[in-house]
Amino acid sequence: MLTRKGKIIVFGLLILTGVVLLAYGVFFHSENILPQQNEDSAMLVQSEPALIKEVSVGGIKRDESGRLKRTYDKTPPKACPT
Amino acid sequence: MVEKTKLSVLASKLLPWRMGVQSVFLLAWLDPLGLRLHNMCSPVFHCYACPLSTFACPIGVLAQFSALHIFPFVAIGLLIAVGVLFGSLICGWACPFGFLQDLVAKVPTPKFDLPKWAGNLRYVVLIVAVLAVPYFWGEEHWLFICRVCPAGALEAAVPNMTGQAIAGEKIAWPNALKLTILGVFLIAIFFMKRPWCRMLCPLGAIFSLFNRVSAFFVRFNADECTDCERCHKLCEYDIEPEKSPNDSRCVRCLECTNCGPSALTFGSIFEHSKIVTPPTKD
Repeated sequence: MLTRKGKIIVFGLLILTGVVLLAYGVFFHSENILPQQNEDSAMLVQSEPALIKEVSVGGIKRDESGRLKRTYDKTPPKACPT
Repeated sequence: MVEKTKLSVLASKLLPWRMGVQSVFLLAWLDPLGLRLHNMCSPVFHCYACPLSTFACPIGVLAQFSALHIFPFVAIGLLIAVGVLFGSLICGWACPFGFLQDLVAKVPTPKFDLPKWAGNLRYVVLIVAVLAVPYFWGEEHWLFICRVCPAGALEAAVPNMTGQAIAGEKIAWPNALKLTILGVFLIAIFFMKRPWCRMLCPLGAIFSLFNRVSAFFVRFNADECTDCERCHKLCEYDIEPEKSPNDSRCVRCLECTNCGPSALTFGSIFEHSKIVTPPTKD
């Protein structure tokens, strides 16, 4: 069983890990997304918060080649397809 | 005698008002200001397809990101940070889906116990339906968590179908399995306490992993315990709190802290409980 000091150390390490991951995701992490129609056009760079919003309405899928692709052209779907 | 800390006093004052606290949190999750902040996850089980949802569901985000083969830094970071602070206190005090089950449990119907091993099914759901199936088969698979989730069926499919029916639009029915699970869930909540949370909730599975190391926890003071086993009767989840006060099956409703001799108290790693000598009569 962990002592109080041990608990504080484990807590410190885990909260630091959580905050670092959260901050990295919010401020630095992004992915390149192919537009739905024109595969030759420039990739869209989307931050992770924008990706979260997209997946909540089923706005991004992986195509057969494994690339991330938008499922819509202009207006995003109203709600998640599931 | 163990001195009561400020936190344990606060917890004992709040305990009779737990449903009030759950209601306040419910209001926050139901997007009263119409903000639709779906680019950030909440730490609770509330479907983002619900017309009234402030934040994105962390389990839905984990599953969708797994299907896209993207590491979900935000969702995992948030769940670790919240989990290590509160553990499953979130389940007992903040989760709207848990609150719904608590409300229905007030209906005086016979309640059945669940076997202890049933709690492990949550980890199976987490690994299979949230992580593995989406990663290997994508979101089209019938076992993808959002395709079987009763919260999604109740909070999103039902209101959206109602809206479509009122507007005279074509109704988009969810799949038969999802409706069946919703039906079974709606019956089960009348005869078991929190069946979803205790058996299948993948978010509860994640938070329960932090129960033994979280900053806020249930403290057992062995010196105060009189072996009266009142805590066994107070616990609605078939846990023996004096043996395992931070059990992975616990939703931290904190009812066990109502035991007479104060053997179980709500504490945190930041405060030290002191042993005080009771005053003598002379």
